[in-house]
Amino acid sequence: MDLLEKIRILADAAKYDVSCSSSGSDRENKNGGIGNAAFYGICHSWSEDGRCISLLKILFTNICIYDCSYCVNRCSNDVERAIFTPDELADITINFYRRNYIEGLFLSSAVYKSPDYTMELLIKTVKKLREEYNFNGYIHLKAIPGADVNLIRLAGLYADRMSVNIELPSEKSLKLLAPQKTKESIIKPMSFIHSQLLEKSESKKLMRHTDKFVPAGQTTQLIIGATPESDRTILKLSENLYKYYDLKRVYYSAYIPVFNGNNLLGVSSPPLLREHRLYQADWLLRYYNFKADELLTEEEPNFDVSLDPKINWAMKNLNLFPVEVNTADYNMLLRVPGIGLRTAKRIVKARKAANLNYDSLKKLGVVLKRAKYFITCNGKYYGECEMEKDKIKNKLTTNKNRILDGQLSIFDINNKFKNLPIIV
Amino acid sequence: MINYIFDGTFDGLMTVVYESYYSHQHPNDIFSEVNHQINFLGHGVFVATDIDKSDKVQNAITTKISKEALRNIYYVYLSELESSYMLIYKYVRLGFKIGKKIDYFIQNDVVHEVTKLSQRVKHEAYKMIELIRFKEVKKGLFIAKIHPDYNVLPIIMPHFAERFQDQYFIIHDEKRNLSAVYDKKAWIIIDMPLENISNMKDTEDYEILWKMYHKSISIEERKNLRLQRQHMPKKYWDMLTEKQ
Ligand code: SF4
Repeated sequence: MDLLEKIRILADAAKYDVSCSSSGSDRENKNGGIGNAAFYGICHSWSEDGRCISLLKILFTNICIYDCSYCVNRCSNDVERAIFTPDELADITINFYRRNYIEGLFLSSAVYKSPDYTMELLIKTVKKLREEYNFNGYIHLKAIPGADVNLIRLAGLYADRMSVNIELPSEKSLKLLAPQKTKESIIKPMSFIHSQLLEKSESKKLMRHTDKFVPAGQTTQLIIGATPESDRTILKLSENLYKYYDLKRVYYSAYIPVFNGNNLLGVSSPPLLREHRLYQADWLLRYYNFKADELLTEEEPNFDVSLDPKINWAMKNLNLFPVEVNTADYNMLLRVPGIGLRTAKRIVKARKAANLNYDSLKKLGVVLKRAKYFITCNGKYYGECEMEKDKIKNKLTTNKNRILDGQLSIFDINNKFKNLPIIV
Repeated sequence: MINYIFDGTFDGLMTVVYESYYSHQHPNDIFSEVNHQINFLGHGVFVATDIDKSDKVQNAITTKISKEALRNIYYVYLSELESSYMLIYKYVRLGFKIGKKIDYFIQNDVVHEVTKLSQRVKHEAYKMIELIRFKEVKKGLFIAKIHPDYNVLPIIMPHFAERFQDQYFIIHDEKRNLSAVYDKKAWIIIDMPLENISNMKDTEDYEILWKMYHKSISIEERKNLRLQRQHMPKKYWDMLTEKQ
């Protein structure tokens, strides 16, 4: 089989993994080698679905011994199969990199022969890149569930980032849809990576040179909508992953029903909007100091998909609004719908120089379409209606289709700082 | 009030700032002789570029205002807009008066303009860093062609020189006929048409592989061409292997 065919099959098989970020590592080019990693990550292209392409995201092979029912590559599914050699993959990576197509490699794989055997193939590939080609670009490696921790340790010395996909938000769902995987086989590598990271950061304090172990940390992915877990369950899970395993990102992937198989739960189209709301909520956790419990309650465990989670929260807490832009503290400004991280910073900066009026807000680039219902400017309220829940909601959703469309079009996948104000 | 004329270089512009400060002659306008057939009979004073004077002004900007301010000024200069010279002059004046705090004065028209314009240049430089595509024209020699709105070569070269330390490469700005050349040690920007070096018509194998990859990674059910265009503006498509 020629390379073109392999790329066709194995890129196609990797495309449902949503992680693509190349950020978080500042590996430098050394000894006149090739490549470096930009801390904020760089996208090089966008596919026709609008997602950023930063890394050569590809499977080593899609030949799998497992049979997870949500997955196109499950062994019982009738699809074309292919497998690379470490040489081929290293060569393509370097040559794509030299042409500025990519920031590096995101190498994942189905489970070929055994978890350990697969892990070894991945390690061979990245070892070649680092040691033979002197490649210092970004490498994201998938830790294969069930692989020996010693292999994971070795892999972590070559990679900038590692991820273990949780895929299903509860153990029960895992048992049901991926019976060969156990919670243990997923959590173990994850906590191992975490403990290695802690260890390295400790020893870094003592010695100047320690080997870098996944400097950009670890991430994971959850499939949304294949199983019945609520948004609250999912968001709480993410919150805990950030808190206890110090994960850099949790990615959410709307379940896309795969053909040739039993259509789980009768899902007919991917719940993209729900996925989008979860991403927004996730941003609120990580950058806006929200807690999962503030956003969703046991009584209302799912987001109202017609409103973004921040507006949703503001509506439930109207008593905290309106806030005066000239005096409100930074954290409160951040909670105003329509004001993102960058604008909040600009407001704080600009009001040191002069009092802000409504026009100067516009000049600062504050998008007032939503914000105006939640702020005052020198004591004056500019919302076109009274501060009542239904009236505001009505105003905000009159051109609903346009809003929804616009928001979907900016769903965050590229994790770049300039794209931060996703939730505004 | 007089008109100053300089040679179009950044150092030249900084020399103008120096001269105007020391002669207490505010400019009415500042022209570059490159852009203009200046009527020398008018009230124009030609200022010859002086590196020492330019350095002094740049140092003063860094210490009295900020490093950030100097970078903003440089980016605005690279916009090549005729109005940018006076804008820079006014910004520097204001900066010398109010110092580091200038960044807070986002509401001031001059500061606002400078911030906006420098952002735009920075944005385009960033787009180039993302979207430049190299081609191996001879064993070990890589070439990319670009045609940015602004003169961003000096901004992006450090990035690529750092990254591709072990390859010879040229980035050619077709619009300005400038070539930035890196020889595994250092880079320079020179006036040079590309014709002599290569004809870039042949399609490389890796280009075919990349196109296949690009197509294959896209999820049909999520097709969103508008979003794709938003990040990859059409005006750059002719640079992009995957869009040919
Ligand atoms: S182990 Fe991975 S590749 Fe194999 S069927 Fe399960 S999810 Fe798919």
